[in-house]
Amino acid sequence: MAERIKILSKDWDKPNSWSLETYLASGGYQSLPKALKMQPQAIVDEVVKSNLRGRGGAGFPTGMKWNFVRKETMTPKYLVINADEGEPATFKDRAILEWSPHMFIEGLIIGCFALDCHLTYVYCRGEFRDGPIARCQQAIDEARAKGYIGKNILGSGFDLDIHVVSGAGAYICGEETALLESLEGRKGYPRLKPPFPANAGGGLWKSPTAVNNVETLANMPAIIEKGGEWFSSVGCAKNGGTRLFAVSGHVKKPGVYEAPMGITFLDLLNDYCGGMREGSTLKAIIPGGSSAAVMTAEEAVWASDFDTLKAKKTMAGSGGVVYLDQNTNMAHALANVMRFYAHESCGQCTPCREGTGWLSKLLDKIVSGKGEKQDIDNVHQISRQMEQKTICALADGAAMPAKSFIEKFRADFDALVKG
Amino acid sequence: MIPLNTKPKGPVPSPFSAAQQATFDAGFTKAVAKYPPERSRAALLPALHLAQDLLGWLPEAAMAYVGSRLDIPPARVREVATFYTMYKLKPQGRHHIEVCNSVSCWAMGSEDLIKHCESKLGIHKGEITADGHFSLGEAACLAGCGYAPAVLINNYRYAEHMTAEKMDKLIEELKSAPGNKMADFPENKDTGRAH
Ligand SMILES: Cc1cc2nc3c(=O)[nH]c(=O)nc-3n(C[C@H](O)[C@H](O)[C@H](O)COP(=O)(O)O)c2cc1C
Ligand code: SF4
Ligand code: FES
Repeated sequence: MAERIKILSKDWDKPNSWSLETYLASGGYQSLPKALKMQPQAIVDEVVKSNLRGRGGAGFPTGMKWNFVRKETMTPKYLVINADEGEPATFKDRAILEWSPHMFIEGLIIGCFALDCHLTYVYCRGEFRDGPIARCQQAIDEARAKGYIGKNILGSGFDLDIHVVSGAGAYICGEETALLESLEGRKGYPRLKPPFPANAGGGLWKSPTAVNNVETLANMPAIIEKGGEWFSSVGCAKNGGTRLFAVSGHVKKPGVYEAPMGITFLDLLNDYCGGMREGSTLKAIIPGGSSAAVMTAEEAVWASDFDTLKAKKTMAGSGGVVYLDQNTNMAHALANVMRFYAHESCGQCTPCREGTGWLSKLLDKIVSGKGEKQDIDNVHQISRQMEQKTICALADGAAMPAKSFIEKFRADFDALVKG
Repeated sequence: MIPLNTKPKGPVPSPFSAAQQATFDAGFTKAVAKYPPERSRAALLPALHLAQDLLGWLPEAAMAYVGSRLDIPPARVREVATFYTMYKLKPQGRHHIEVCNSVSCWAMGSEDLIKHCESKLGIHKGEITADGHFSLGEAACLAGCGYAPAVLINNYRYAEHMTAEKMDKLIEELKSAPGNKMADFPENKDTGRAH
């Protein structure tokens, strides 16, 4: 096997990988002075060249998003970090915050400089207070003491404050506009768009705002050090870099693995996770968090990049991959998934509030053995009616598994119902 | 009961003891300082966390008090407190145990683990043991999916790779550990609202 490229996880095996000493010893905080001497637009141009796609779920080109914000004339501008990590099966931002917080912080400072942002918030899910938030705060304190954060950073004239704030348990606050609502001190109701967060009127306190995922920013030191072209060459077409795959389910070695964008699910399973565990054979794959359409074992040869999976009618999403074995009943699995969405729907939109509720009820009925064939068809039908009709993408994220579990594993459902 | 829609006239009494008050005030000052001066209302979530950390849950009086400190009417405070699952609107056990039951943990046996907790503690999800030591709930994905099943204790401590045996050991350990602060609170009675 070729040498594995490690960008984000290169320090994870080192003792105290989270400390400033370790990060400095491995060449950390070398990109920051370099970036501070560049024109902000030149940094964004590098990010455009890098083909970095947002790692939060939608895979939006980061450079393009940053150019939207740069084009706005309204000030102040904000870069807000999404560390809500709520998508079921996703646990990779936590790995960055716990094991390499300085790489993320260096990336964040570079990002803020590129966007002319002087005040930034890292919005972390509340459950992270004891671990990831503590590590992140410690890294911020260390970086501040070194003069990387604060007034006149490294003599550049650039000022920046970074604050960590914690949510309080609501999956929907991972959606970027709900996150902004929550950050402003309200309940997390997604906002109607437009205006988009990047535009005046749509962001934090109505200012132009880029909301980006933790992993997205953690790539900045490497992009500045080695250049956008190099970063782009690591991944596959239009999908630059590596990605942190958070692997769970019935595999020998679950965990967070860094692999080039576009690796196939079969290679990820066999080369990184040691294959399926003893006695397990692969039945199904959830490729990018529970909101992604499910895949069959035969489809494991698909590449994992954003564009391939979109063309295959599923999504690369958050990089949370679940490998499920032959003993998993997919109807029961879907009933579990749908209970989550019914619970987490914020309730603003009727198709989502009622739809997830009905899907969950019908699926519970099916798995309790009281269902009929018609109920399966109704689940499929309802999920199709929830698509593309709502304020945010949660409803689509619930519809995608509902549709695909039935289309690809119908036998598991049929076996549970009468008639 | 404090009227919800109108701002209370005059000062709202604090729900804290003197020692708690000092802790709250220090944390509150730090939380507010994170936002531009005219945006201090953004500190509502952190302020509610602070109050809950001290009291173990969020009684009506605490919500009203936090609101008064940020000039937010009680109805809006309550709207926020009821929206987020980490805010507990009724007293919890001295140790509140939540087992993740989202898809990865489910695939690794979280339902059996929940059943095990129920029989070990003699309560159902959503209940408190008679001695007040423990309460049990289900969590949505905790971002511990690769270390499943994952468990969250008192809103902040993770226990991962859980098994029935490890759960039993943890419960024994917790019996003698200081818990969340609900037991200290004088008005420690159910407000009758489900969460
Ligand atoms: C229901 C829902 C939940 C989401 N949860 C998260 C999350 O937990 N973390 C995250 O980074 N993005 C999440 N997103 C995606 C964000 O809305 C947004 O696209 C992302 O933060 C943008 O950052 P990026 O471009 O760097 O990926 C979620 C989206 C939706 C619709
Ligand atoms: S789609 Fe669902 S979660 Fe999103 S805003 Fe509408 S009701 Fe809320
Ligand atoms: S599914 Fe249980 S921690 Fe993610």
